[in-house]
Amino acid sequence: MKHVRELSTVAILIAEILFFAWYLWPDGNRAHPFLNGPNALLILKYSAIYGIAAVGAAMVIISGGIDLAPGSVIALAGVVCGGLFVDAGWSLGAAAVAALATGMAAGGLSALLIVLVKLPPFIATLGVMGIARGLAFIITEGRYFDVSGKLVGGWRPLGLPADWVAPIVMVGLALVFHVLMTRFNWGRGVFAIGGNETAAVFSGIAVGRVKASVYVLAGLLSAVAGIVLTFVQGQGKADLATGYELDIIASAVVGGASLSGGRGSVLGAVLGCLIFGVLRNALPQIPGATFYDRLIVGAVVIVIVVLDQLLLRKGE
Amino acid sequence: MYHAPVPGTVVLAFRDIRKSFGAVRALNGVSFDIAAGETHAIVGENGAGKSTLLKILAGLVRPDQGQVLWEGAPLHIASSRDALEHGIGMVYQEMLAFPNLSVTANIFAGRELTGCAGWLHTDEMRRRTRALLDELHLDVDPDAPAESLPAARRQLLQVARALAFDCKVLVLDEPTTALTDAETDHLFAIVNRLKARGVTVIYVSHRLHEVFQLCDRITVLRDGSYVTTLNARDTSNDAIVRLMVGRDLPPRDDTAHAGEARAALTIESLTRRPCFANVSFSVAIGEIVALFGLVGSGRSELLETIFGIHRPHGGRVSLDGRSVTLRSPVEAARAGIALVPEERQRQGLFLNLRLVDNLVLPLRLATRAMRVSRAADRREAAHLMDTWRIKAAGPAAYPDSLSGGNQQKVVLAKWLATGPRVLMLDEPTKGVDVGAKFEIHAVIRREAARGTACLVVSSDLPEVLALAHRVIVMREGRVQGQLVGAEATEEAVMRLATADTRAA
Repeated sequence: MKHVRELSTVAILIAEILFFAWYLWPDGNRAHPFLNGPNALLILKYSAIYGIAAVGAAMVIISGGIDLAPGSVIALAGVVCGGLFVDAGWSLGAAAVAALATGMAAGGLSALLIVLVKLPPFIATLGVMGIARGLAFIITEGRYFDVSGKLVGGWRPLGLPADWVAPIVMVGLALVFHVLMTRFNWGRGVFAIGGNETAAVFSGIAVGRVKASVYVLAGLLSAVAGIVLTFVQGQGKADLATGYELDIIASAVVGGASLSGGRGSVLGAVLGCLIFGVLRNALPQIPGATFYDRLIVGAVVIVIVVLDQLLLRKGE
Repeated sequence: MYHAPVPGTVVLAFRDIRKSFGAVRALNGVSFDIAAGETHAIVGENGAGKSTLLKILAGLVRPDQGQVLWEGAPLHIASSRDALEHGIGMVYQEMLAFPNLSVTANIFAGRELTGCAGWLHTDEMRRRTRALLDELHLDVDPDAPAESLPAARRQLLQVARALAFDCKVLVLDEPTTALTDAETDHLFAIVNRLKARGVTVIYVSHRLHEVFQLCDRITVLRDGSYVTTLNARDTSNDAIVRLMVGRDLPPRDDTAHAGEARAALTIESLTRRPCFANVSFSVAIGEIVALFGLVGSGRSELLETIFGIHRPHGGRVSLDGRSVTLRSPVEAARAGIALVPEERQRQGLFLNLRLVDNLVLPLRLATRAMRVSRAADRREAAHLMDTWRIKAAGPAAYPDSLSGGNQQKVVLAKWLATGPRVLMLDEPTKGVDVGAKFEIHAVIRREAARGTACLVVSSDLPEVLALAHRVIVMREGRVQGQLVGAEATEEAVMRLATADTRAA
């Protein structure tokens, strides 16, 4: 009963994969352009950037808020990490820690504005979105940090192929935060605040603290996504991840999060990212679809959410 | 004035509590005692200071001055969590539940049983919830989301929540506003069982008959000041009302309608499934007809269908003998029908607009005005506020700065300004205080005397009996019968409203 929503997202994902497998089925004995191991890894690798940030976005949305900053924070964290690693000669670990701290600071600023200054989350994170992107441009001054050039060939973090790292990080974080949200007091508080903030205050839940922690964690997760993006792309650049925030929010919503708060799932958000990841990968392989892919992505969001509402209404 | 002596030991004492919000003095030196094990009612009109007093007890508001004593020692409550930890459980007027969370999660919200790092002991919480629900004779699944429960169950959920933490004092703030009589009985049975167990109950309600049914002592507040505390058995309903409003109220009127018999509004076999079916009746010019029925009997939907909000599946509506098809509220308003809706905050007022705009809106709609003159609007609004004695800072004030009674007057005034032929009111005095209630009744009678056909939906039986010339009783979407004038007694109405369920 409880996981029905995630299952329906899985079902959509499987249906989507089957559709493209059928539609792109090659003639004769040629290799399948979509249904093959390297392509699956490619999808997972690129989806991870969205997926990791979507874990944070889902939590923010469940708490009844919204976060417009992920795209910019991804870029800023990527630039900080790339800059320190390439230009300043820091070790990879130290540069990554600095990038994570940057992400938490950005989330902390949102939290401060929302919890203490009492700005609406939309406005607060809109401001932080601009500030983070601006800082990224100030740091790079139009340059980019060539991360791939500095990495030795055949780089294997923890003995794993480099391409596996992003998907593993995504799955790991999704599981950790899923458990935090469903089995821990903190997550219960996030759901409670999103369901009825007044009641949460009356119940003695530390509303301010929980809300602040959600935005800080969202910033942290965006920073993780930023570090991953920097290594996937091989460079730290200020204009990376432009517009990602909306794709990330869309993923969370497709995965079952309600923008009015109180409802949603971290796992669902990650599955939502995979749905879009498959679309982004498969559509360009369809001849003539190039100009249609944004339109199709937009339509998919609407169709899935409408279906969800119809099912929800039927269930009542 | 005779003050009831405090029986037994004092568990909770208010000492000279003062609290101001800006220029408004909410509490003006209130002192009284609550005895251990008693059921103590706090009554007063809206704005008398009951809510502020409760909020102080709950730790949501701090008094400017004065102290709350708990068994003689000063009590410091900084948050609602502190209150619960001291053994003070609150059941609020607004249904403060988490619709998205399970019954168990609602009961333990903010006080979850946790292990290391906040790991939730879900099984233990579910087990305790089940025990608690059994104790309250509530047949509810601990895992069901709160939103799947009917309103009454959600209210009882709050009682369960207060009990989950072994409270010594249970505060109930208007707990029966949304409950049917059967549900109210259930709640009272629970409260009585708690009393027997030695729990002290503080009961706040507008419904005085409930207060008399349940409480040992009654404290009256008026305009932020303490008036008196009386033993319930030494006083009467009327005496308490006098103390609450500080003046005498007009007597009841239970005569039948004597005026014209010509029907202003006639409905024939009106049907909208599944809400109501085959409803026929008429309201004569100048007549007040009350439509009584328990919650879920289809009354509100009937009014909304007549008003053109919903489409009927069959049947006819006639105004002054001419059949009309009303496809929208605008058409209804232009045809001379007004509806004062049940939920004024949600359906009756624009909380983001100033009083002037709220007041003139239906008038402008009904007269098809394209251009609006601000000066004319302001004149009209000022006139309405004057005639209706709406207590507000001025026409530019916002509705949420008004008390419940004054808000309801705004909703009434804006519709009556259109000079309707048929006035429909859905629970016109729900949540308003006694003084405003009598004023609203007087207005309805005045409108009727002027020739308006009035159709009033109310679950407040004394109100129905006091106001109506004729009572039509609905049950499960059908008209069960009607009672005219003196025929309409409490027993007769209730018999019709509950007919089959009683027999079964």
